Amino acid sequence: MIEIVINPNYCKGCSICIEFCPKKVLRPSNNINAKGYALPEVVDLDTCTQCKLCEIVCPDLAIAVTPKEKRGGRNARK
Amino acid sequence: MLKHPMLKYINEEGPSGKRFPHLLCPGCGAGQVLNYTLHAVDDLINQTGAKKEAFVFISGVGCSSRLTSHYLNFDSAWTLHGRALPIATGVLLANPELKIIVFTGDGDAAAIGGNHFIHAFRRNINVTVICVNNGLYGMTGGQVAPTTPPFTSTPTTPYGNIEDAFDLCKLAEVAGASYISRWTTAHPIQTTKAIKKGITNKGASFIEILSQCPVHEHQTPVEMTKALKEITVSIKKSMDSNKIPVGELHFAPRPTWTERYESVIEKANEMIS
Repeated sequence: MIEIVINPNYCKGCSICIEFCPKKVLRPSNNINAKGYALPEVVDLDTCTQCKLCEIVCPDLAIAVTPKEKRGGRNARK
Repeated sequence: MLKHPMLKYINEEGPSGKRFPHLLCPGCGAGQVLNYTLHAVDDLINQTGAKKEAFVFISGVGCSSRLTSHYLNFDSAWTLHGRALPIATGVLLANPELKIIVFTGDGDAAAIGGNHFIHAFRRNINVTVICVNNGLYGMTGGQVAPTTPPFTSTPTTPYGNIEDAFDLCKLAEVAGASYISRWTTAHPIQTTKAIKKGITNKGASFIEILSQCPVHEHQTPVEMTKALKEITVSIKKSMDSNKIPVGELHFAPRPTWTERYESVIEKANEMIS
């Protein structure tokens, strides 16, 4: 189960995550946080590939994506 | 609740209340550089087993220099304007095993700290200098800086800047830095890799990151990020192009200052005995 969490206290609504997302999972929304910044919202969670680019480019460390589950290599079959 | 993985290196609460979110403007490039640097440091801690105590962050004064001691959960020092590199030299002499990362802006490095900048690279001290270059003095109101491109209008040059800009990477190369690369905030993965290589490199490493200042250049962060991709070109394709080359510009390891200093200590001990 993939989860994308946007921290409303930290987000400043710069839209850089929306621009960088290769699968266009995020889009601008009308949700306003306490400081008056418009937060992004998740459109299509199923297309998210967990590339975590939004996490790397966020200037405010406000967005988080569920880490990829480690597919066990050789030891998985045992 | 799911949290950003790099928040484990951040002091969200301080003695005088909440410290995060940071004071930088929305869409600031310095915040992105902080994120890239923390990702690089996190990779080094996880992959090479480097200890968290081995990293020291030092900065001077400026927007980008606010990133160190106020927010980071690492050993750090927030020092005088332009004087981050002399402090870094002192820290390195006290303990040559430390990995020192210096956050600096273009005004901090090229204007007031210009002499410290060239002499740190001439000595080849083992530091990683991360320069967030937005081409203006952001903290004081967007005035013209030594790195402002010619013909740009700023509050102090309303009819256009008549001076040519500093090329900080070439300056660092002739001064003697051993690893130099230039990226922009629009190249997240490449910047993170460059910072990692800079930290692992023995000797002076200089990473210039072209950054946006959406407030003083009166554009949205997204427009400026797209523009940063358009005005730059990879160093491999930069032969017949007048765009700014990005990539690994210079890599030539040579003996560091601390190595030479240790050899001098050995020689002196031999002569005494």
